Amino acid sequence: MKLSTQQIIETNALACQECGKCTGVCPVSKFDRRFSPRSLLMEAVRNDSSKNFENYDIWSCLTCKRCDAVCPSDIKYSDLTRFVRNCAADSGFHGKCSHSGAMDMLQKIMTKQELNQNRLDWVGKDLNISQTGEYLYFVGCAPYFDVFFDDLNLNILTSAKSSIKILNRLGISPVLMPDERCCGHDLLWNGDFEQFKVLAETNLNMIKETEAKTILFSCAECMSAFENLYPAAGFNVGLKLQHMSQFLAEKIKAGDISLKDSSDKITYHDPCRLGRHLEETQAPRIVLNNGGTLHEMKQNGKGSLCCGVSAWMNCDITSKRIQTERLKQASETGADILAVACPKCQIHLECTKKDQIVKNNYGITIKDIAEITLERME
Amino acid sequence: MKVMDKNKHGNNSNLSFKNAIAANGAFLSLGSKGENSYPIGAVDPSPCMVACPAGVNVKSYVSLISAGKFHEALMIVREQNPFPGICGRICTHPCESFCNRNEIDEPVAIRQLKRFVADYEIEHPWSKSVRTPPARKEKVAIIGSGPAGLTAAHDLALKGYNVTVFEAMPEPGGMLITGIPSYRLPRNILKVEIDYIRSLGVKIKTNTRISGKNALQSLQKKYDAIFMAVGAHKGKKLNIPGEDKYEGFWDALTFLRSVNRGNDIELDDKIIVIGGGNVALDVARTAIRQEAVQKVAPNIAQALDVVKTAVRFGAREVHLVCLESLAEMPASEDEIEEALEENIQIHPSLGPKRIIGRNGHVAGLETVDCLSVFDKNGRFNPMFAENSEKFMEAGTVIMAIGQVPDLDFLEPSEGIEISPGNTIKVDRETLATAIPGIFAGGDAVTGPNTVIDAIAQGHLASGSIESYLNGNQLQQSPLPSTPFETEIKIELSSRTKIKRLNIPRKKMEDRKNRFEEVEFGFDETQAVAEANRCLRCGTCSECFICVPECDKNLTFLSLAAGKNDILLRLTGGIHVPESSPVMLNSDKTKPLSFAAGQINTLFPYILEEYCRGCSDCVNVCGYDALSLMPVNGTSISTINLDLCRQCGTCVAVCSTGALKSPYYTQENIFNIIDDVNPVKPNIIVFTCKWNGSGLVESDLSEINTGKTGVKIIDLMCTGQIQSSFILRALNQGIDGVLVMGCEDKHCHFDFGTAQAAKIMEITFRMGKLLGLKAQQIAYHTTADGNKQDFIDSVNGFIKNLFKKNKTASGSPTVTVA
Repeated sequence: MKLSTQQIIETNALACQECGKCTGVCPVSKFDRRFSPRSLLMEAVRNDSSKNFENYDIWSCLTCKRCDAVCPSDIKYSDLTRFVRNCAADSGFHGKCSHSGAMDMLQKIMTKQELNQNRLDWVGKDLNISQTGEYLYFVGCAPYFDVFFDDLNLNILTSAKSSIKILNRLGISPVLMPDERCCGHDLLWNGDFEQFKVLAETNLNMIKETEAKTILFSCAECMSAFENLYPAAGFNVGLKLQHMSQFLAEKIKAGDISLKDSSDKITYHDPCRLGRHLEETQAPRIVLNNGGTLHEMKQNGKGSLCCGVSAWMNCDITSKRIQTERLKQASETGADILAVACPKCQIHLECTKKDQIVKNNYGITIKDIAEITLERME
Repeated sequence: MKVMDKNKHGNNSNLSFKNAIAANGAFLSLGSKGENSYPIGAVDPSPCMVACPAGVNVKSYVSLISAGKFHEALMIVREQNPFPGICGRICTHPCESFCNRNEIDEPVAIRQLKRFVADYEIEHPWSKSVRTPPARKEKVAIIGSGPAGLTAAHDLALKGYNVTVFEAMPEPGGMLITGIPSYRLPRNILKVEIDYIRSLGVKIKTNTRISGKNALQSLQKKYDAIFMAVGAHKGKKLNIPGEDKYEGFWDALTFLRSVNRGNDIELDDKIIVIGGGNVALDVARTAIRQEAVQKVAPNIAQALDVVKTAVRFGAREVHLVCLESLAEMPASEDEIEEALEENIQIHPSLGPKRIIGRNGHVAGLETVDCLSVFDKNGRFNPMFAENSEKFMEAGTVIMAIGQVPDLDFLEPSEGIEISPGNTIKVDRETLATAIPGIFAGGDAVTGPNTVIDAIAQGHLASGSIESYLNGNQLQQSPLPSTPFETEIKIELSSRTKIKRLNIPRKKMEDRKNRFEEVEFGFDETQAVAEANRCLRCGTCSECFICVPECDKNLTFLSLAAGKNDILLRLTGGIHVPESSPVMLNSDKTKPLSFAAGQINTLFPYILEEYCRGCSDCVNVCGYDALSLMPVNGTSISTINLDLCRQCGTCVAVCSTGALKSPYYTQENIFNIIDDVNPVKPNIIVFTCKWNGSGLVESDLSEINTGKTGVKIIDLMCTGQIQSSFILRALNQGIDGVLVMGCEDKHCHFDFGTAQAAKIMEITFRMGKLLGLKAQQIAYHTTADGNKQDFIDSVNGFIKNLFKKNKTASGSPTVTVA
């Protein structure tokens, strides 16, 4: 399988001026000098054989869109990578799945229509949820993360629980789907377009039955799947999509939520999916600056450094160097808490802290933005 | 790839590895360019093995007995000792003296165990697969069919040489048949073991004395090499007044030989046997007392033989007179105990002064009290008390003070040198005489010695003869002639005391006047129980039964030279420089030179570019083989190969694939899972290689599968199980996954059970989230190798999985079979 002409044109791939700005900002290139987005692009547009799919590096790209943001020719590099990976996977090439591919398997199992998940065990009596309603809270795979990363003591579900409590306080009893499927984000970025489509369709059909008008997300990846990837694959979502940070900012502005003043020193890590893929950098800052002062890291907003791994793939020492650098930047702000807006960022940065040396030097506490908000709500 | 040199880090203080090979310059190279070399460690031999003059791997056969592998055990004995039945009865068992169990309670009854396997073969014959080497045209003559001669014949026959043994007496066996009474060594046992040597193609010509003018020279014309193992068959004199002067005086050998040939002998009711320490005159030149004591041992044994034989011949009162005190007596406790049981009176610390006769017949012995036998330098220098003369009345006096070789057949013209002690003079390292091609050994060279020493001499001779016939330089003995210090250290303080099994003996009232064997052997239960007392000093028992069975082609290396010529366990193909002294010994029959640049090793290694220093591997390893090393402000995992036992669990838990193992990869397991035909119904059973292995193919029929397909996937340890394997199988359409681990105490890798339980707990929780049926995933543990448990578990799992009307999802539980 080859890239289609349309894909090449659509991504402006032929417009490369070889200026090298992409390599200059690329976090992977910074820590792994062999890695060059530009040469990968050259290989891709040559598009003469499936040989270029053998290159390990096409799976190492974080698709964080740092290069997209600086490219003078407006090349959509991350989209190109997605197409290349799709072709590669169709030709039998794959990236190196971390954690023995357990996450990949979970996602694939979730494509099975006969599956009947039992994923809402964690919802206690203190949380009000509904089966139908205006607001749908898309949990994402947090219940699985908490089990699989048992030893990390992550409590990713704290962000979900906090979000639901906030919604409850605002009089909203959100819809939660007991058989919600993986959004498909990772499968697509792994090149598995077909199974991605199955997940997208299954989710959308399920959501239709809930009569929801707005979908809220704690996970930036899930939201970017719904907002960008589903329509690109031909699915019409047709609903209002909001990241929890956007929802919270909206409610704060409207005066529905007021937060206590806090002396906590907080810094914020922009997830690449929220900051660059969804271009939302302000909402989280509105939330965190309300009642407190945000201490910005050296690289922030649109220029934020990625968390080092995407789609559970090609995790290696380069990933760790990126993550260590990010934790270093966070610690250097003098903050006590690193606020995140994506569970993947949280997992990856926590995992890096398993190295005692890193933990001793940059062992900053990591919390989800909803958790912080709930703690401060009056 | 980088594997850390063990010298660079880590604590090696508790290791049993020895850097012997490192000293010889042999290195394992794990890097592609040989840049990451690793010294090969040798495991020191166990003390029982170094104590054995013949170098029998005692630990190995004792281990095999404990495992119920009696024939295999016997084959191990035979490799170094062709006379297991004989030595199982009359060996002086130095191995037992060196046994580490001495520090705890009593040594393992090694001699008796050896007897057991020899007897077992007689009762349970099996077809021995004797190696048939390519035939050699060279002919070897051996003079004397005692243990030294026959051992050499055995060794040379196994190497394809044409061997003829010449024996002057009507029956082969030498001192074994003429000197040792049948109640200690039954003649059928002797016959079985000599027949075994005959079965290897050795010709034994009895009633053929080599004597006469130029006998050796004429023999040399027909044979390419000659080994003289004529023994020491001439009784020694004490040179005291009255010796050999009266009727009723015997020397021990003539006495025993007559008895053993069945001649009727007239004995007085009252008998005195002079034995023991006097023979030490022989070794007076030997400075070290220890060695002197060892040399005396066979003679005391012989004196006891004489005494006991006399009892069986109707003597009512037998007195044993010897120089040593009871504590000094170099006979084994068993033998003294046996003699005392038979009411033999032992008179220690007594020296014979003269034999008194009356009317041409022995009337008695005059003795003096002996104050001390050895001086403070350990030299033999008996001191007698003045005016302590006593008279002991007796009608028969037997002198049992030892023998010297009878070398009358050697004419001076033959050119064989004879030492002042009347033994054949040879180079002690090679047993070569002054004449090329003629070798000598055994008692004829050493003076009277033990059977096991004679066997050692036979090995030495065969080695030299082979070198000679191949035109090679005669080499030093590959076997240690004296026990050497072994550096094996084992933990003794926590060991429990287990009583040594008493060697069963015939009751006293059944014993006298009979020439039947006094000792009984162990039965199977007793043998296994006694063998289980062995401490297995130094981990591997070197029995090598794993070698032909190993499907991973593990190979073994041996060191080529000197006392450290022992086999050691090393796994996988190994990159060894061609010039190294290390040889591959994969089938244990022919050492090969190890070609450079070989496949992989079984040790895991770390791809540094993937290692995140997350410490998952460090936490999971129960052997402390992994540790984190600081590198540029972060950590990287490193492996101490000395501590690694290659279970692969670290490789399984590595989330980035930085840890690799040549025999275990996730991709392999994935491929096996993917290849399972998902036609329903079908289940996958992951099992511990050690526990479930071996019954997977042959016993599958016992699994009541019905229509269900069962795929059994071996893991080195169930500690390697991963949630992803199970998820992958279920995603593939497999109906259920059963993980069969080992009970905690049966885990071969100490922590595998705990690790498997942890992973399974996570998998169960994930299964529950996914809404899988509780019975789709199960984790059972069984005792090591418990086949029935294994089959029952699989049957139970299948039954439960396809039980009707059970579709509700519930919480899976850990069921322990």
